[in-house]
Amino acid sequence: MNSDLLNIQSISKAFGGLQAVSRFDLQVKEEDIIGIIGPNGAGKTTLFNLMTGFIRPDSGEVLLKGENITRLKPFQIVNRGMSRTFQLVDLFKEMTVLENMMIPCFSKRACRQRQEICPPGQKEEKSYIAAMRFLETVGLADRFNEKAKNLAFGELRLLDIGRAMATQPDILLLDEPFSGLDVADTEILSSAIRKMHQQGQAMIIIEHRLREFLKLVERVVAIVFGEKIAEGTPQEIMNNRKVIDAYLGDTRE
Amino acid sequence: MNTYQDLFGLTIFYRRLRGLVIFSTIVLMAPLVVKGGYFMEVLFLCNYYVVLACSWDILAYTGKVNFGHSLFVGAAGYTAAVLNLHLGWGPWLTLPIGGIVAGLFGLFIGTVTLRLRGPYFGGVTFCFAMLLYKLLCVSPKTLGGEEGLTGVSPLMSSLLGNYYFSAIFMLAVVFLLYFVSRSSFGIILRSIGENETASEGSGINTTFYKVAAFTISGTIAGVAGAMYTHIMMNASPAMAHEALGSLVLMMAVVGGMASIIGPIIGGYTLTIINEAFRFMGDLRLLIYTGLVLGMFLVAPKGLYDIFIRVFRRVVVRT
Repeated sequence: MNSDLLNIQSISKAFGGLQAVSRFDLQVKEEDIIGIIGPNGAGKTTLFNLMTGFIRPDSGEVLLKGENITRLKPFQIVNRGMSRTFQLVDLFKEMTVLENMMIPCFSKRACRQRQEICPPGQKEEKSYIAAMRFLETVGLADRFNEKAKNLAFGELRLLDIGRAMATQPDILLLDEPFSGLDVADTEILSSAIRKMHQQGQAMIIIEHRLREFLKLVERVVAIVFGEKIAEGTPQEIMNNRKVIDAYLGDTRE
Repeated sequence: MNTYQDLFGLTIFYRRLRGLVIFSTIVLMAPLVVKGGYFMEVLFLCNYYVVLACSWDILAYTGKVNFGHSLFVGAAGYTAAVLNLHLGWGPWLTLPIGGIVAGLFGLFIGTVTLRLRGPYFGGVTFCFAMLLYKLLCVSPKTLGGEEGLTGVSPLMSSLLGNYYFSAIFMLAVVFLLYFVSRSSFGIILRSIGENETASEGSGINTTFYKVAAFTISGTIAGVAGAMYTHIMMNASPAMAHEALGSLVLMMAVVGGMASIIGPIIGGYTLTIINEAFRFMGDLRLLIYTGLVLGMFLVAPKGLYDIFIRVFRRVVVRT
């Protein structure tokens, strides 16, 4: 076996006659930060769904830390160390921000981690205190008692990212984290991502808005019609002929 | 609310508990005011239906609507009756066993159907309840057939004893529901009701929690069904009939789903309406339907919502 954190081996998925993802490979090492770009309908979100167990692939395998997780359920994959955010943020609307953040803190993985860091002889950290800690990292601590439905869209997105972070993942998948964010929220999110990266958090980010994003990531994978057409540094991708034709086209300034 | 610690602190816990303590006192004092066998029996029925509505409500936190709560009542009621008549076991054994049998039904049906998303669950619960009803109707002599089983030994020797037994059981269930709603278990159940995908994506085994909630719900309803059998001294197929299942559902919905006061208000209101319009027979169904429709138009969150609004207004004014 190799030492990759995440190893995707040739996964494919078809919806009826549409080949959403075909023979996709990707290797992610510890501390990697990888971007996935592609036009609408290229299969980016399907790829995340395949990786996190929300959809089963037709063929191929996903290995997380050497373990085959292809057939596992979403919550089992989260508890093994891979969490994701959702493109269409829809959290627990009628619950408070703090309660929203407590849900991932109740997961097996988060509970185990709290037990591990707990000094012997002391009571381990309460889940709501852990939840508050994560609210602080996404800058929502002062709104803890607000119902989630009263949050602005950008705040909701930050809450969703905090929710994924609170499961203490080894690898974090962000599905279009910047879409719908204003300038201020984009800045908060960019610095949060940079900070996580400095702490060694491995991440995969799907994005449309290239400007913010290409500054953040180290490696970019471009997909079109479910197929990987290029992989390289942001610079290489920007200058890749196939990518320009397929995706950037004349929108490149 | 000043800090987030307050939210999980003891102050708010006791403040909310106070209301329940007042309610308990009223329930326990009621026999001092209410005289006469008939009214005591109505109060007993109120306790019984509040238990059923509260137990139904546990699963409602996950957003799942159970159409066949009568299945638990019927299964446990017949278990108690058979054990009592054929083996001579007393209520102290038949009530817990009835609860366990109903809980196992919940565990089985839940394991099979709660993994599915969508409306399947409601349909399956409905079918199982109707199936049990039909089976009991055509059952052999040992189960009494359409007539049911009679001659079950009484629960307590007096009407007052029956009332207190049911009242204490009902209060225990209400307090249990209160603790559940404030525990991590309750918060997880609510998150499943809000958004199951996000809950699962947060590392929560949602199927496990749904099945657990359904099993607990069934166990409580089962104990209540066995209690009813002993107090009424008979078990009839009507206990498993869909009419009971939908009545319980309406109580929780009219009162306010996924709340604690909701099923209590709904249980009392509909039981009293049920008794007051007894002369109308099956036409009472029209009243229920009208009430539910009106409820959805005026207060979609249930009577509970009106109660809270009036309560706030009164408190603010004084």
